[in-house]
Amino acid sequence: MKAKYIPFFSLFLLVIITSCSETSNEQLFDSSLLEKRSAEEVEKVVEDFILAEDSTTIEIGEGFFDLKTQLILDSKENITIQGAGMEKTVLSFRNLKTGGEGMKIVGKNITVKDLTIEDAPGDGIKAQHTDGLTLRRVHATWTHGDKSKNGTYALYPVQCKNVVIDECIAAHSRDAGIYVGQSENIIVKNSLAYGNVAGIEIENCDNAEVFGNTARNNSGGILVFNLPGLPKSDGKGTKIYNNKIIDNNHKNFATPIGEGPNGNTVTMIPPGSGVVLLAAKEVEVFDNEILRNKTVGVAIASYQITGFPTDAPNWSPYTHDIFLHGNSYDRSEGFPDLSRELGQLVSMYNAHGKAKTQDIVYDGIFDESRGNSIAQNPMNICISEPGLENLYFTQFDLSEGEENIKSSADVSPFSNCQVNVTTDVSFISSK
Amino acid sequence: MTRLSKKNIASYLSLSFLLVFFFSCQKEDQVEQSLAFDPQKDHEEADGIYPYDWLSTYGFFEGDLKSLTPSQKLIEYEPASSLFTDYALKSRFVWMPEDSKAAIINDKLTLPVGSVLIKNFYYPEDYSKPEGKRRIIETRLMIHQEKGWEAFPYIWNDSQTDAKLKVVGGETTVSFVNEKGEDQVINYLIPNKNQCKTCHNENEKLDPLGVEVKHLNHEKDFDGKKINQLAYWTEIGKLEGFEGVENHPSMVDYSNESLPLADRAKAYLDINCAHCHREEGPASTSGLFLSYEQTDPLKLGINKTPVAAGNGAGSHQFDIVPGKADESILVHRMNSTAVGVAMPEIGRTSIHQEGVELIRAWINEMK
Repeated sequence: MKAKYIPFFSLFLLVIITSCSETSNEQLFDSSLLEKRSAEEVEKVVEDFILAEDSTTIEIGEGFFDLKTQLILDSKENITIQGAGMEKTVLSFRNLKTGGEGMKIVGKNITVKDLTIEDAPGDGIKAQHTDGLTLRRVHATWTHGDKSKNGTYALYPVQCKNVVIDECIAAHSRDAGIYVGQSENIIVKNSLAYGNVAGIEIENCDNAEVFGNTARNNSGGILVFNLPGLPKSDGKGTKIYNNKIIDNNHKNFATPIGEGPNGNTVTMIPPGSGVVLLAAKEVEVFDNEILRNKTVGVAIASYQITGFPTDAPNWSPYTHDIFLHGNSYDRSEGFPDLSRELGQLVSMYNAHGKAKTQDIVYDGIFDESRGNSIAQNPMNICISEPGLENLYFTQFDLSEGEENIKSSADVSPFSNCQVNVTTDVSFISSK
Repeated sequence: MTRLSKKNIASYLSLSFLLVFFFSCQKEDQVEQSLAFDPQKDHEEADGIYPYDWLSTYGFFEGDLKSLTPSQKLIEYEPASSLFTDYALKSRFVWMPEDSKAAIINDKLTLPVGSVLIKNFYYPEDYSKPEGKRRIIETRLMIHQEKGWEAFPYIWNDSQTDAKLKVVGGETTVSFVNEKGEDQVINYLIPNKNQCKTCHNENEKLDPLGVEVKHLNHEKDFDGKKINQLAYWTEIGKLEGFEGVENHPSMVDYSNESLPLADRAKAYLDINCAHCHREEGPASTSGLFLSYEQTDPLKLGINKTPVAAGNGAGSHQFDIVPGKADESILVHRMNSTAVGVAMPEIGRTSIHQEGVELIRAWINEMK
């Protein structure tokens, strides 16, 4: 089974791609206008993190803080890190010479508020093994003109529980702006992600709600992935609703110009992707505005499409139990991407004609233990969109490999069902 | 030295303390504001309340402090394989309170509460004469308190008379001549106190690295006699539970070229990477586990895609591609000094050429 999907890597070797993807260096404000804090004042912030006592607030005043070492809050409880405002307190890690992330958090009930993180060489804020994490009005960005210098994730909770990300802004990450990995009980709301490769990504997580956000001008807007071989081996239960997922046509700059994808899955995301579900389980996507994403509005794919090995314990490469309803689409923006193989697949093999933007695509890869025909909808993919008959839907058939890629516009196997996706984040919604 | 409560460290951090500053972002406009690092020393009493402000207050060394001549109560130790720290040489000692001893239970070595690990980082002026003139950069203490281990970095002054506690870390330039007679300059970064846990981390608790049975279960020179270190500790009444070299795990010295390549490579990865890259370490997020005992090919990175490597992946797909070291992310990251790419993330600003060659040879030999 696996081998059949691998050849996509060599599929378009001879096609010369001069894609006209856009790029952005938009900044919320000019931090160079802020007053620069002295070396002693910067050192005081470093000390405050190191010497923090439980149940206290670390206040960081106005100004531009040029940090040369990491800010690490280690194994503390009930701490609030309070800035003076996203446009007033800037922690710059441009001159960090060692360590990955700018701010690292481990602990219990930690809140970070009202500040900006700039130019961390790795991740902006990484929180790990933290039960109770709230990021509110935190802005993380990179200001290098050359985006190949940018770091990986702006806001990065991993292996955490009870995570709330509210009114945050994440920009220009070389991977995902807001990335929640291997965590459970998650709210990402009222936030903005732009200029990233991926706007918001939920990966190997359980019980997540993503709502009221704007993901614009990324290569991909909102992603739900499950990747193999991780300690939290698989994830399920995500609701994505009331988001604006618009104009996600940014160049995929996760790898340098002229270089194709590497082993990081996000490097394969074709510019112009609204929502991408990869090896995702129990995901409900509803009442979103999914507009002007030039390649595809919603892509439903199994991990086999990457061509990477799919053997890993306690993990399934298949996407199943997906429910799309009440979303609005607009496929008026240009032509599908040709810089990534998944873009080429959409552009050349969709069921509505070459170079036509698709609203919804499904790779049609299914687990034969769940059924023997895609017509039976064995993976329980349910699409119940208003005006479905006017949308461009493509279901691919990749079972015969690159030699014979087939596609179908028939949505009927998927349009008369529903999936009951259960999430419950009520107990953290007051945070 | 029995009551081990923590002082308010903040009081130590006076602003009069002048740190050496180097702005060395770009070579062509390098500005060196080389302020002397010579903090005023006040008299400090050894009152048993750790940490002390000054290294000398502990009384670990006799005579001239910079000779690092251990007092009788210290035991020098040496792991079989050593963590690379920008070519710095290290001397390591353990102090255990009187009337207490370490114990090995199920191959896990535990030191008694009150123990202190003392690690000195220094550079000889000339590596062909390692016993000659040297500069000591920092001494890191790990103190086993009632509530667990805690780490304290001490930075040596320019006159090499003492070292002062500095929780925010620092930065300095070191020059030396390497074994091949070449001039070397290294921008040495002293980690801040909380960065210690980037490496010294087991399930988010600070934990010693080199003081493990597998690292110490080998011979070392004691007063001209070669003895197994754990046997020596047992002999002087500082260890129980050691049942002889064969009955416990041991790791090889990766620099010993007479040993099998795979053993050496895995020993290298263990001491340099596995403190993070193991299930109990911070890099568990990656699913890449590099301890000496690891045998699962996927966990070792063979044909394993990265997860959150970002820039670190370069143009490569897999952590290890058998037979193709130069297409393997592992080698790519070891062979870089760019922050965000370089692994380990802290502890080095230069490339460990010999380490890269070892891992490269191991991967190229793989089928």
